[in-house]
Amino acid sequence: MSAVDESILRAVDELQVRYIDALDRRDMDGWLAAFDDTDASYILQTAESEEARLPLALILDDNRARLEDRVSFITRVWAGTYQEYRTRHFIQRLDCRPAEAGLYAVRTNFMVAFTRLDLTRTELLATGVYHDLVAVEGGTARFRAKKALTDASALPHYVVYPL
Amino acid sequence: MGQSPISPAIAWPAKSTQVPKEIFVRQDVYAEEIKRIFHGPEWSPVAHASEIPNVGDFKTCYLGETPLLVARDEDGGIQVFYNTCSHRGTQVETAVSGNRRNFECPYHRWVFDLKGNLTACPLRPDDAVNFTKEKYPLEKPRVAIVHGLIFVTMSPEAPSIETFLDGYEDKLLNVMGGDGRLKLLGYHKLQLNANWKTYHDNDAWHAPLLHLAFRMLNWQGGKGRQFANDRGHRGFESALALPKGQTLLKDASLIEYRGGNLERGSCSLHLFPLFSAVKHLDTIGLRFVNPSALDRTDIHYAYFGREDDSEEMLRHRVRQSSNFLGPCGLVSMEDAAVFQRLHVGSHTPGMQVFQKGVRDEYAMPVEFSQNDESVNILSWEYYRKVMGFAKEAA
Ligand code: FES
Ligand SMILES: [Fe+2]
Repeated sequence: MSAVDESILRAVDELQVRYIDALDRRDMDGWLAAFDDTDASYILQTAESEEARLPLALILDDNRARLEDRVSFITRVWAGTYQEYRTRHFIQRLDCRPAEAGLYAVRTNFMVAFTRLDLTRTELLATGVYHDLVAVEGGTARFRAKKALTDASALPHYVVYPL
Repeated sequence: MGQSPISPAIAWPAKSTQVPKEIFVRQDVYAEEIKRIFHGPEWSPVAHASEIPNVGDFKTCYLGETPLLVARDEDGGIQVFYNTCSHRGTQVETAVSGNRRNFECPYHRWVFDLKGNLTACPLRPDDAVNFTKEKYPLEKPRVAIVHGLIFVTMSPEAPSIETFLDGYEDKLLNVMGGDGRLKLLGYHKLQLNANWKTYHDNDAWHAPLLHLAFRMLNWQGGKGRQFANDRGHRGFESALALPKGQTLLKDASLIEYRGGNLERGSCSLHLFPLFSAVKHLDTIGLRFVNPSALDRTDIHYAYFGREDDSEEMLRHRVRQSSNFLGPCGLVSMEDAAVFQRLHVGSHTPGMQVFQKGVRDEYAMPVEFSQNDESVNILSWEYYRKVMGFAKEAA
C-alpha cells in the first residue's frame, strides 16, 4: 500500500486522532494546532463540486489567517446563535505516500455522526474522504493542507464546526 | 382564486400585522400551497442559463415533488422538460448535472434529442396501432427567460412573465450584477429543517441583531431602502458602506470590495413564492429554493462571477462567496439556526406579530425604512389571497 516508514505512519495517525479529538471536544485551539504555523489550508467541499470542477467550497480557509478567523467565527461571532451539537468522528487511513520534500499525501475515510443536545437520537452529518498534505518534522506531524470532500451534495444541517 | 377548502378553516386575523402560526405546520395547508402556488399560476425560477453554457449541458431540479430537466439544445436554446418519459413515465435523467447528446430512457430504450423529440424507439411498424414518434416528445411546462434566469410554471392560467414580475425586471437585473451575463462558480446546498415560508419570510430587522459579525466588524449598513408590491415581491437596495477599522478578521479579503460602484452595492430581491437573489460585496448569489416537505426546504445557493471577470477577480469571488454567506458563512450561518427554531416554535397556538415599522395595525403598510420588518406584510397579504383564507372581521 505505501512505502513509508512505520514512524511516519505513526506520526500521521497520531495527527488525525489529535485532530478529530479536538473537534469532538469542540476545542478550536486544538483544531488550529493541528495545522502548520505559517502555511496551511482547510477546505470543506462536496464531491459533487469537485467532480464538476466548480471551485466554490463550503469552507475555503486557504491560508493561516483564515484558519485563525475560522476560530473567531465559531467562538466569538456565532456564539449564542446556534444550537450546540455533539459530533463523533470516525476515520480510516486508506493511503499515505511521499509527496514533495518532507510532505506526505494522505487519504482517509471519515464519518461524522452528530447529536443535537435537545434531541434524543443521533444522525449522520457527513461521510467522505480527507485528502491531506502532511508535514512531518522531528516525529510530529501537522497539516499543510487538509481537504474534506463530502459524499452528499447537501448538508442535512448547518455546519458550525469544520469536519 | 376561490375560498380555501381546508378544514378546520384558518382564522386569518383582521390585523395585518399577525400571521397564524398553524399555517407553518399543517399538512393540509402545505398540500394546498403546492396546488395553488408551486403548481399554480405563479412563476418559479429553476436555473440560470449560465449553469448550462454549452450544447448538451443539463441540470435536473424539482418544483415541489415534480422533477424537471433543463437542457441547452443544439441551437443554443434553453429547454425545460418534465423529467418523465413520454412512454410509461420513467424519470428520464437522474444525474444532477452533466452533458449529453440525447436522453435515453433505460426502461424500453426510447431516445430523446435535446429538444425533447423522440428520435429512436425499438417499436416496429406493426407492433402498435397509431404510433408515430412525433406524437411522443417529452412534455414541457411553460418557460420564460429573463436575462438568463429561467422561470417555469405548470399552470396555463399563469399571467405573462411581465405581469408576474410587475415592474421588478430592472431590480432583478441589478441583483444579477447588471447584465445577467454570469459565470457559474458553484453551489452551497442545504436541507433546512423548516417550512418554506419561514425561509422566505426572513426579515430586514434581524440582520444587525442576529448577525454579530456586522457589529464586531464595526460595519454599519449604508443608506438603503426597502420596497414591496402587491404581487408578493419585495427587496432591498443599499449603498455599500465598508467596515471602518479592523477589529476581527486577520484576512480582510473576506470583506474586501472590488466591484467599484458602491451605490446599490448591496441588494436583495425576494420574488413570490420562493426565489431570492442577493448581491453583497462581490458575491452574486441566486437561491433556488424548493419545498420538499411540510418541514423541509431544499436551498441551493448558486454563486456566480461575471462573464468578463479576470481570473483574479473570479478567484476573489470564489474566496469571498465560499466563506461570507451560505450555511457555513460568516454572516449567515445563524439564519439556518434560527429558521429551525422558528419551525419548532410554530407548533404552538397563536400568532406571529410584526412590530418594527408598523404605523397602523390594520392597514397595508406603504412606506418602509431600511430595517423595518413591516415590509413583509405585503407578501403575506398576497399569500393570504392566493390561499383563499378569509380575514376575520375587525
Ligand atoms: S418508460 Fe421510457 S421507454 Fe418505456
Ligand atoms: Fe440573516
